[in-house]
Amino acid sequence: MAAGRAPARGPTGGEFERRRRAVAAMAEEAQEDGATRTLPSLRRLSRALPFGRTHGRLGTSSSGRPVVSALCSQESVDPEKTAFLLRKSWTLYSVTPLYRFRRARLRDYGRLLSAFIAAEKQKGLAVEVGVELDIKVALSSLAELRGSELDQAALLVQLSSRSQASSRNSEDKPVWLGWFCSVFGDDLSENLPEDFTSLPLFLSHGAESYTALVGSWFQKTFDCCFRRLAISPQNLSWMVAMWAGCKLDRAASAVELIFSVPGLAQPLDISYAIHPEDAKALWDTVQKTPGEITQEEVDVFMDCLYAHFHRHFKIHLSAAKLVKVSTAVASAHCNGIVKILHSQYLPGVLMLLTELAISQIQ
Amino acid sequence: MDETVAEYIRRTVLKIPRDEIKMVLQKWGFLSEAQLQTLNFHQMKDSISQEIVQLCEENSADIKQAAVLDIIYNHIYQDKRIWSVYQMKKSGEELEYFDITDFKKKFKRRIRSALKNVTITFKEYEDNAIWIRVAWGTPHKKPNQYKPSYVVYHSQTPYVFISASVLKSNMPLLCQALIVASNYRDIREMELRSHSLNSLKDIVFKTYSQNFQTYTTKPLQEGNVEPENADIRIVQENRSEKERIYRLTQEVFGSGPQPKLEFAQYKLETMFKSDPKMDVLDKKEPFRCLVKFSSPHLLESLKSLAPAGMADAPLSPLLTCIPHKARNYFKIREKKGSVPESFVSP
Repeated sequence: MAAGRAPARGPTGGEFERRRRAVAAMAEEAQEDGATRTLPSLRRLSRALPFGRTHGRLGTSSSGRPVVSALCSQESVDPEKTAFLLRKSWTLYSVTPLYRFRRARLRDYGRLLSAFIAAEKQKGLAVEVGVELDIKVALSSLAELRGSELDQAALLVQLSSRSQASSRNSEDKPVWLGWFCSVFGDDLSENLPEDFTSLPLFLSHGAESYTALVGSWFQKTFDCCFRRLAISPQNLSWMVAMWAGCKLDRAASAVELIFSVPGLAQPLDISYAIHPEDAKALWDTVQKTPGEITQEEVDVFMDCLYAHFHRHFKIHLSAAKLVKVSTAVASAHCNGIVKILHSQYLPGVLMLLTELAISQIQ
Repeated sequence: MDETVAEYIRRTVLKIPRDEIKMVLQKWGFLSEAQLQTLNFHQMKDSISQEIVQLCEENSADIKQAAVLDIIYNHIYQDKRIWSVYQMKKSGEELEYFDITDFKKKFKRRIRSALKNVTITFKEYEDNAIWIRVAWGTPHKKPNQYKPSYVVYHSQTPYVFISASVLKSNMPLLCQALIVASNYRDIREMELRSHSLNSLKDIVFKTYSQNFQTYTTKPLQEGNVEPENADIRIVQENRSEKERIYRLTQEVFGSGPQPKLEFAQYKLETMFKSDPKMDVLDKKEPFRCLVKFSSPHLLESLKSLAPAGMADAPLSPLLTCIPHKARNYFKIREKKGSVPESFVSP
């Protein structure tokens, strides 16, 4: 089956092909495991291995080049065009495929959504939306943000307010930002029935009351379903291991792991920050499989950090809850809030999050 | 009344919870009881503050009175600031009679000799504590009343508690004035910080109830319900292990309440010792980490780590030494040429 799919995918670059081979190999393996499901990501789930083997994508490829930077150059992400997505806190959601979404009708959607928000406010249902009465809605495509041509272009939703006092020449003040995207989310998209659009990952920045309004309009209009996307401690350790291994040109910030310790007389938080060079040096000796990252490698990396900590403090970090990781590449909190810091790794981070969103949907 | 004084009083009042404004004003004592009677405390804080400023206007308040109000505010709400402990050293062991007037005079003189534009205010409290507030200016600018330093000094002790101004450059001058005024030779920061001034005092004055009884053979009281037909040997083992952890914890932390600290920080520059079987990172350079513990009540949470099964008993001396060493900021390096399992902090 996997072999049969490959040619249909059209001309793509070398990295993409490599990734396909990885997925294909995984599919074969899964068949050997006796799995009978058809979607590759479901197999991944059945292996209880959240990011699957395919995460070699973020590691170093066999040529010793970080795969993500290759992704960037291939898809030619213009750092200028996506700069506004960096260094903001984004709340994550998974979204089921949109039904009868038409890219050509973005303008209409904007008008409809704007009218919907105005009507809801009139009803007084939206709390704390405050004084911004006239909300302008703009929907646009962000073609830069996708992994392959099987992915839909990202969809950006911008809400801005026009203050009443200064009518015309005053600039619109942005009040809320949200975007749907899919980066290598084809595991979901390629098996979709007609008339469905797969943009499984939704990220919002701004007042929750707006997120609720926009979400309910999309839910109503496209018959989709939003769910907050939490990140498990296990997935956080994957992230910190992968990001710790990323090459960064400039002086990078520390690789920080934040734990909370449950069941004590008083709450206790532990921040364990490692110099980025030392964390990378450790990861580079742990990461041995060329072109991919394995669960075992991630476990060894974390165990090494835990052992070093235990040697000093006699505390078992493995029994504490990992709640947040932050590196020069990105930071992620278990409650599903992320911040992406480095444009070079934007596609790589989104790829992981797309995958998490897809496994939540499925 | 100076407009800046009026504004400063207004802003200070706004910081106080509404129900407590009257109490603070009474402590201040600048407005008469009759004046306080005229105030309506059941309105918006903004309006209350306006009325208070009006009354201060009538009494022609100046910056000195405003600064006293600020000290009173910070004395009551002292947990809002971060306090650092400093220790002073004498050349000899001689004890001198402490004269508060002399102390104030020397302190002011030393600071004014270097910087004219300062506001220095003192207030004495019953527990022998002298609170000093210094608002700093520059040679050409009036003092910035919104970024003062606060110093709490207990006479006859070598300890000073400082909540520093964000204008850090004045710190050396402040320290100098303190040793000159109190007749000491030297002053150094102890690397002990907390929001709780009282806990810092407890730690350095050793007044917290830490009992160093080596054996507390009291058996465990709480929750010792064992399943009825459990293996007696396992139950015994569990119980003796629990008792061991309990005893070790009591030995280290004592049975009384712990002084309140909110954080501890360790800069580790120690070797990474990996399991040879793992074949990872074998470097001769230190593995650089910064570890921060934070909790609303750090020592109580550390104390409960081992009993909760989250840590070995006894807990690492790096953590248990906090109250004895009276510090919560550490830099840890590998001890040179000795047992690899021990650390030293400078």
